Amino acid sequence: MKSHRNPHTESQQEEWRKRNKTVLTYIAAAGVGMIGLSYAAVPLYRLYCQARLGGTAVAGHDAEKVESMTPVKDRILKITFNADVHAGLQWNFRPQQSEVYVSPGETALAFYKAKNPTDKPVIGISTYNVVPFEAGQYFNKIQCFCFEEQRLNPNEEVDMPVFFYIDPEFDEDPRMARVDTITLSYTFFEAKEGQKLPLPGYS
Amino acid sequence: MSTAMNFGNKAFKPRAPDKGAFPLDHFGECKNFKDKYMNCLRENSYENSMCREQSKQYLECRMDRQLMTKEPLQKLGFKDLLDEDSRNTTETES
Repeated sequence: MKSHRNPHTESQQEEWRKRNKTVLTYIAAAGVGMIGLSYAAVPLYRLYCQARLGGTAVAGHDAEKVESMTPVKDRILKITFNADVHAGLQWNFRPQQSEVYVSPGETALAFYKAKNPTDKPVIGISTYNVVPFEAGQYFNKIQCFCFEEQRLNPNEEVDMPVFFYIDPEFDEDPRMARVDTITLSYTFFEAKEGQKLPLPGYS
Repeated sequence: MSTAMNFGNKAFKPRAPDKGAFPLDHFGECKNFKDKYMNCLRENSYENSMCREQSKQYLECRMDRQLMTKEPLQKLGFKDLLDEDSRNTTETES
């Protein structure tokens, strides 16, 4: 007996098979493409970050450097201090010295003072600025009171220290040759519950 | 002083401190050392290099009272003072 194969069915099946093959090929190609993209994503993202944020994240300043650096004794820099409070914060905040003379490579201590004259506890949080702008990269804070919530009880007054140094490489930068004054400005804001200031990667 | 607004990409980027924030000295436990340091500064025209012993003592005070993580002082840039101290002690011992 002849097979009940319908010639139309046969060509139809062939067509289906061809179509399936094409579809499968496309799917396979897409799959390979996606795997490739996920591999490429890493260097691409790095490039993007460099373009947008101006350089890869600097991995903090070494404790090694602080230990081994020697002060550049023949270069003296005047560091002046500014204090500001944002309008909403009722603290009295001021530097305890108007200036300090340091050499690059020498660790130095400076104090601010903050008082909460109100009868309620107030939480503040601060950020800082360095002028001139280009000197800021050489200004390293070992420890200070910034970027973390600081709570002052009613009528409390505290000393707030800043422990810092100017990178000795400052002395070798030709752009800094005429710079002999660096100004450090701190600004305190009131920290409300759950409010987050856009602060640099510091929890 | 917010020149940051005018610089576009070149805005000043504050960096977090290397060792984090000092806990507040709510009880003024190290106030005496702070006062000694400030007096030293006033007497020496605010030259930091003349008052390093006092700043070292202030930080030691903080470390003793859990107001700062204990660290070898060399790591805080006081190697020269420690070398001097050890030289003085060996001199008196000999």
